[in-house]
Parts: sequence; C-alpha cells; structure tokens
Amino acid sequence: MNELLDTSGMFESPVARWGAVAAGLALLVAPLLTVVLERLRLLGEKTRKDIWTRYFTWLVLAPVMIAAVLACPASAIAGVLLVSLLCYREFARATGLFRHLLMSVIVAGGIILTAWANLDNWYGLYVALPALVLTVLSAAAVLPDEPKGYLQRVSLAAVAFLLFGTGMNYLGLLANYPGYRPILMLLIACSQLSDIAAYCFGKAMGRRKLFPNTSPNKTLGGHVGAMIVIAPLAAFAGHIIFKDSPIDTPLRLAGLGLIIAAGAQLGDLVIGSIKRDIGIKDMGATLPGHGGFLDRFNSLLLIAPAAFHYINFFGGFDIPITRRHLFQQLLDVIGVGGAA
Amino acid sequence: MKDWSYDTAKDHGVAPVERFRSTKREAGLISTLTHMATMSAMVGFFRTFHRMRVVDRGRFPLKPPFVVCANHSSHFDAIILAAAMPPQARAVAYAVAAGDVFFTTATSSVLSSLLVNALPLWRKKVTTHALEELRERLQEGHTGLILFPEGARSRDGGPLKFKPGIGMIIAGTSVPVVPCHIEGAFESMPPGAKIPRPYKITVRVGEPLTFETAERSRAGWESVSMGIRASIAAMSPKPWPAAAVEDQKVNGG
Repeated sequence: MNELLDTSGMFESPVARWGAVAAGLALLVAPLLTVVLERLRLLGEKTRKDIWTRYFTWLVLAPVMIAAVLACPASAIAGVLLVSLLCYREFARATGLFRHLLMSVIVAGGIILTAWANLDNWYGLYVALPALVLTVLSAAAVLPDEPKGYLQRVSLAAVAFLLFGTGMNYLGLLANYPGYRPILMLLIACSQLSDIAAYCFGKAMGRRKLFPNTSPNKTLGGHVGAMIVIAPLAAFAGHIIFKDSPIDTPLRLAGLGLIIAAGAQLGDLVIGSIKRDIGIKDMGATLPGHGGFLDRFNSLLLIAPAAFHYINFFGGFDIPITRRHLFQQLLDVIGVGGAA
Repeated sequence: MKDWSYDTAKDHGVAPVERFRSTKREAGLISTLTHMATMSAMVGFFRTFHRMRVVDRGRFPLKPPFVVCANHSSHFDAIILAAAMPPQARAVAYAVAAGDVFFTTATSSVLSSLLVNALPLWRKKVTTHALEELRERLQEGHTGLILFPEGARSRDGGPLKFKPGIGMIIAGTSVPVVPCHIEGAFESMPPGAKIPRPYKITVRVGEPLTFETAERSRAGWESVSMGIRASIAAMSPKPWPAAAVEDQKVNGG
C-alpha cells in the first residue's frame, strides 16, 4: 500500500526533472511566440484562433498529466485508467456500440479490472484479462437473442478493450517498477512531441502525401521530419534512463527510438482510419481545439504495449521471461540475444 | 465483405456541458446507470408513500421506438410514467421537459439529464424544427419519449386543450403511442406545492395506438391529438368535458 502512494523520488531522474521543466518552459514560451507571430502578421485568423484554443487546453492538460505521472504510482495508474475510460467512451459513441449497454458495462468493467491489476501489481491478471473479457463479451452478446450484428458488437467491444483497456493501461503497469517516472515521461512526451513535429514539418515542407486516404493533411515531409526528431531524442533519453542496464547499447537504444517514433505516427493513423471508416472528423469535443481524448492520445495507443515489451525483453522490468528454448536459440543464432 | 454500418451518437461533436441542454443528447453508460438508479428509488417511493398501482402494465412496449402520453397536472407526472414502465422500456425513455423550467442553468440541465433522462423542449419557441427533430429521433428507432400533449400542467386537475404538436411528431409513422391516465398526481403534488402529500396514485395504461395513415397537415395533427385525448378520457374515472370546452381555456406556463 505504501509503495502505491510513495511520492519520494519525484524529480530524482534527470529525464523526469528536465521533462517537467521543458513542459513548463514550453507553456511559457508558446504564448510569447504566438504573440510575436501575430504582431508580424504571419498567422491567418483561423490559425490564430486555433492556436490559442489549443494552448488553453494544454495549459490545463499538461500540468495535470505531469502531476499524475510524477506524484506516485497510484496517481499514474488512476490517471491512465481515467484516460482509457474516456477514450473508450468516445469510441463507443462514435461507433454506436454505446447503445449495447451490456457490452459497454463489460468493456468498462474490464478496463477497471485492468487498472486494478496494475494497482495490485498482479501481472498474471493483467495478461489473463484480454481472454477473460472476450469470453464474457462473446457469451453476454448471445443473451439478447439478436444474432443480427452479433459479430460487429463483439468485435467492436473486443477491439475497444484491447486498444484502450489492455494496450493503454501498459502505461499504468509501468508504474509498478522503480524508476517508472522518467519512462512514462519519455513515452508521453515523445508521443505528444511527435504530433507537434509532424505538424510543423508538414507545414514547412513537403507536399507529397503518404496516406492520402487515411490522413490527407499529413505530408511525407511531416512523417520523415517527426521520425528524424523523435527517434534520436527517445534513444538519447533512453540512454540516460537505462544507463548501464542491458538495454543501454547503441543498437538496442536505436530500436527503442524507432519503436517510439514509428509507433506515435502509426497510432495517429490508426485513429485516422477509424474516423474515416465511420465518417467523422473528430472522435469527440471534450478538449477544445484538439477534438476528443482519442484525438489527443492516439499516438500513445501503440507505443505503450510495444515499448513496454521491448524494454522488458531486455530485462528492463522484473517480469520473468524464461524457458524460451527455441526462441533463445534462434536469437543466439542471429546474434541478437535477450536478457535471459 | 460488405462495410459495417456505424450508428454514431446523435450528439457527437456537441461540447461537454452543451450536450446536456441539447435535444440531440443520447444517454450513455453513466447517464443510463444514474437515471435507472434514481428511478429505482422513485419506484420504491411511489409504491410505499403513494401506494402506486399500474393497471395493464403489460401494454407498454419493451423496445423503442415508442411514445407514452398522459394527462398533465404535476411535476411528478413524467417520473410517475417512467416508474410505471418495465425497466427495459424505462432505460430508453426520455422525458420531454420544459426547457424554461428544467434547463435554465448548467447544473439543472446536468441534473435533469442524469437523474430523470429529460430532453429539453423550449416552449416559448416550440418550432416545427424542434418537433421534427423528435420525429426523426423516434424514426431512428433508439428512443422512447414520455410527453404531455397538453404542453403544460393543469391548474385545476381537469384536462387542458390537447395541442397538435404530438401529431407533428408521430402522424404518418408506425411508432406506437401508449395513452396513459394518471390519477392522484394532482392531489399529491399540484402545481405550486413544495412537499408531496401521501395520496394514492393510479396509472391506467391504454392500448397502444398508431397513426400511420394520419395526414401530415393541421387536420391530421389535430386528429392525432384528439384520438389520444379520447383514449385517455375513456380511462378517466371522472368523466372529461367535451374537447371544445378546453379551447376556451388558456394553457398557462
């Protein structure tokens, strides 16, 4: 219980310390910069308004997020739970799944149980939940005796639970490990910076579109620019966080940087595809200027599980990965090798 | 493989607090749970304090769309009708309530929505547009409505003029209308009363009516509201006066 509320070491890691300082500075500098650009008449009326709305949302969101991540493990787990429930809510209302009340109760219940597994540091329950939730979902969906649309109801609920329950709550799972604060800061900061970098590079250069059907506003320049900024940044921060641990080799850090940089952009495209498929512009209207929570946190969706398991594979966390007779031999043959 | 068909919430993209004052609001998990919890408490209250009795409860449809109509003489009426329904119907039933009474502030809007699942209708400017929106909602098939064709609470317990608005909502559709007669609500909680008095409340549920052949014109709308009025009047233990008498009365707020 005491570990969950342990606030010591909030700013122990330089990454957590400097991350918080950088976010604070950004919140101070951004309005000044905007005012300068306004004076120079470089901003159109629409862009100007858009920037200010987005800024005021950040002014509330960023401090709350940083406080939740840094304060204590319980606050981080609760914060992730809240965001994942809000993301599920937006997904359910956008797809129409929310009208199947029973499905929603099960998915929301599954997400809450996932967070509870995190609070309890019960990894076994965490990995059992996807199968259990799917079992309950597919059984419960039979009860109304409406086979029409059965597969769609169950599939939407299952995808929602995997993406927003299991996937996103890996960020909460992380909070059980000593030194989780800088790792969380790194993942969240990189996912958000990736959006900003892609936006700036996209505006500044490049007209060629990589995914014109999914995301017509994103250019090749934006994608490449964001990769070039985020991957080295994440690798460098990883070097500081994981100093002298098995993951601290140039090749493995480069892998981490690539996973984070590519994951951020792919997560964005995943939500883009969902929106195009449904035929809506934003997932919600909860965050003025940004859309919904899913529009804001889309880049984290894929990073969370991918980065967790990548770091864990190289012994970053204490979840045992033993008895992999065949896989270990395969890795030895190609000369990569895990931690075990 | 064919594309899936998604059915996005009607209030998608409406800002968070504004949503509670919107006619487009669709209840989700939280508001359904809160209003079902409130209503369970109210069912217990009506059954004990008012010895509420529901005659022919089995006539309520269990699935949307449907409209439940009744005579109106108390703020209790909408809650009484919701309490009288089977829970499956109650979960999807929205009470159409006066915007100028229940939705004046953000707090009252949120409470009306979360506790009794109310939808606002702005009486000073009841436009064809607002009624057309309710009509579309019903036809989409996810919604049940509780509404009072008189448009205001009676000040003497007797009927007011049945307005044609209900006809604009359902004329020419196959949506069933369940006429109900509420007895005892006026005695328990008349307009102006602050504290309920323990009178007995009886809800009589009529045979569901449909108005598929009713014309979408003034005459058609009137025929719908007169049909509903006749059905409710037939259930009243006290005989109702002829419909023409109420034309003389002014329907006050």
